[in-house]
Amino acid sequence: MPTSTVSSGKSLPIRVAVVAAGVVSPLGFGLPETLNALRGARDCVSPVTRFAVEGCRCQTAGQVPDERLESGNGRHDKRLHRASRMMIAALREALTQDRQFKPQLTVIGTTSGGMSYGENYYRALERHGDLRRAPSWIANYPPQKPVIDAQQNFDIAAPCQVIANACASGTNAIGHAFECIRSGRYQRVLTGGYDALSELVFVGFDSLQASTPEKCRPFDRDRSGMVLGEGAAVLALENLETAQTRGAAILAEIVGYGVSTDKFHMTHADPSGIGPRQAMERALASAQIPAETIDYINAHGTATPFNDAAEGKAISQLFAGVPVSSTKSMMGHALGAAGAVEAIVCLLALEHQFLPPNINFRAPDGDVDLTIVENESRAASVRTVLSNSFGFGGTNASIMLQRSAP
Amino acid sequence: MSLGIAGMGWVTPLGSGVEFVWNRLRKGEEAIAEKLDSQPGGRCYAVFRVPDAALATLPRHPRLRRVSAISRFATAAGLEALQSAGIKVEANNTERIALVFAISNGGVTYTRRFYSDIVKTGPQSASPLLFPETVFNAPASHLAALLGITGASYTLVGDGAVGLLAIRMAEDLMTNEALDYCLVVGAEEVDWLLCDAYRQWRLLRSQPPIEPFGQSARGMILSEGAGAVLLGRSGSIKLGKTHPGGDYRKRSKAADVLKLVLSDLSDGVGDFIIASANGTFIDKAECRAISQVVESGIIYTFKPALGESVGAGGIWQVIVAAQALRYGELPPLLHAPPQPLFRIARAGDRAITARGAIAISCGLSQQIAGLRLSTES
Repeated sequence: MPTSTVSSGKSLPIRVAVVAAGVVSPLGFGLPETLNALRGARDCVSPVTRFAVEGCRCQTAGQVPDERLESGNGRHDKRLHRASRMMIAALREALTQDRQFKPQLTVIGTTSGGMSYGENYYRALERHGDLRRAPSWIANYPPQKPVIDAQQNFDIAAPCQVIANACASGTNAIGHAFECIRSGRYQRVLTGGYDALSELVFVGFDSLQASTPEKCRPFDRDRSGMVLGEGAAVLALENLETAQTRGAAILAEIVGYGVSTDKFHMTHADPSGIGPRQAMERALASAQIPAETIDYINAHGTATPFNDAAEGKAISQLFAGVPVSSTKSMMGHALGAAGAVEAIVCLLALEHQFLPPNINFRAPDGDVDLTIVENESRAASVRTVLSNSFGFGGTNASIMLQRSAP
Repeated sequence: MSLGIAGMGWVTPLGSGVEFVWNRLRKGEEAIAEKLDSQPGGRCYAVFRVPDAALATLPRHPRLRRVSAISRFATAAGLEALQSAGIKVEANNTERIALVFAISNGGVTYTRRFYSDIVKTGPQSASPLLFPETVFNAPASHLAALLGITGASYTLVGDGAVGLLAIRMAEDLMTNEALDYCLVVGAEEVDWLLCDAYRQWRLLRSQPPIEPFGQSARGMILSEGAGAVLLGRSGSIKLGKTHPGGDYRKRSKAADVLKLVLSDLSDGVGDFIIASANGTFIDKAECRAISQVVESGIIYTFKPALGESVGAGGIWQVIVAAQALRYGELPPLLHAPPQPLFRIARAGDRAITARGAIAISCGLSQQIAGLRLSTES
């Protein structure tokens, strides 16, 4: 493992700090609103307004209100996809916290890029409609575009790696960014994830009957599926030593990352929980800390019967009595943004010493032994947390964050 | 850290197999375009497709039963890369091989079919079988499952530069000593919807040939296929240097970013330059950058022979660069006019003592990347 040399001559692993963060999600715009929503256990899922859902079982989602998204600085920016505008808002908040932060690399997760522009284009083609805006839709459709747009808005010219590992994308992006710094290859990496609701993806999950017509109840005995969400979140990561040298605020440290690939099925986790378990075990090994030191787990917890069962089994095998919640119960599953938004949730839990709630919870599932943070947030001593994301294709990722020593 | 190419695999419109395709390129052969009809518009597009025979050796596997063409291409290329390196994924190394998958448009045919059902008859007709195949990482998932990889698997999305960016990402991953290999695969499939989109963008031409570095940018022809490069800790062709890449804000600024990338990579060993010129605006940018930065070297692009394969293109460039170094020669650059500012590859051009090859890629959606390969010295 790469090391940094301290004055005593003893070598220690390179430590990775979070020096700034920004978020836009159904929970709110920015860290303070997000904190309020989490503490207040607010249900931020509402009837879908972006497209017609009459033919779907599920008719709700966590949505970011358009009217609060920045329109940008001129005519050109009006063409930007709303995913770009969410990324711009999240990055603006992070850069307000640390104006000196200049990334050498940007690693962002997403699942569907500017999909709704692709939908506009296809509908116009299919119905022989107006295609005058087609070049603009096509230009703003690619998954890297919102990342480039956000960077350009703030004169950042870092090369981009855009990871599309389905629902694990955000956590994979943060984990890879963490490893890039820990390896000594980079000093500063901007990371996070984004996704905007789109009809194709919404109907897709509905067709699989993975989404629910009821409330999203992760880990509940009677859970019946997920609801979708959207959002964007970014974290500015930096070599702790250089961050401290320049006097940057240290929000937390990322201390571990684990990844695994589960070959069981394209859309189902292995019921044994082996994939999630391996990701969490590898995160612990990466952090070089025992399972007993984990104070809180932000679970992937989509509320689908099979995935919660597999994750719950894996968590209960590794962590006895650790408080667990899925904040997707409050805002839906933001897919490529989920891991990044949930990393921000973990940052807030570490900073403000509380456990975010798992709302809509009524009765425990007798098949998994979990300590759920039921329905209300609660004060707690929180020093080390784990955040899970698992996705289609068997991609599993876990990251571990730790409160920076005062 | 020293990385080398341990194995390669190639599936193209000229067939499959690295040596087979290479020999056809050397002979100056080019793929034959097929016609593809668009459904709503009634238009007809010329594309370069992978022939069925190129996938004849693909194994039977439950995961491959209903998968899209892109997953089949990727699997064939990935298997060839591992076989050529003599590597088997077994219980003792399933975590020691990472997978990085480069993709641009992804499983566009199934995505179109899935959404078409929704548009035509409503959400109730959406197919739960098709939806999982619309996800960007579906091909990587199938490949990982088929090979038995249980460790890191990343799907990287981007434009035509994504293949070279994937190699850079693989290099980042290989700083982890727990990894022995990283399999980097780039793949793409063609569909009339893609052709229509690129036509709307005024980047497509109706008929071959692609004319790189021409006086006017007449457009490209889309193609499909896959390439795979297995990076290991050794190999006679070394990954000399990768550039982290960059983005251009306007097309007129692409040459400036390319110049920065080329300047960083070109340290006197750029005997061969594998460009991404495809008959569009990027040719002019590459032409400007190459002529201002590189003093000597032979320039080649495979696009006239194999088409623009977007997500697979960067990996194909790496394969061409590696083969050029291995054999000390390049295939002839087809359909390109003589260039006053640099030397293009002609039939019979040989540089037996060539020690280095640069691949640069300028994508159509703002991304630029580059890397340098070198022979073991």
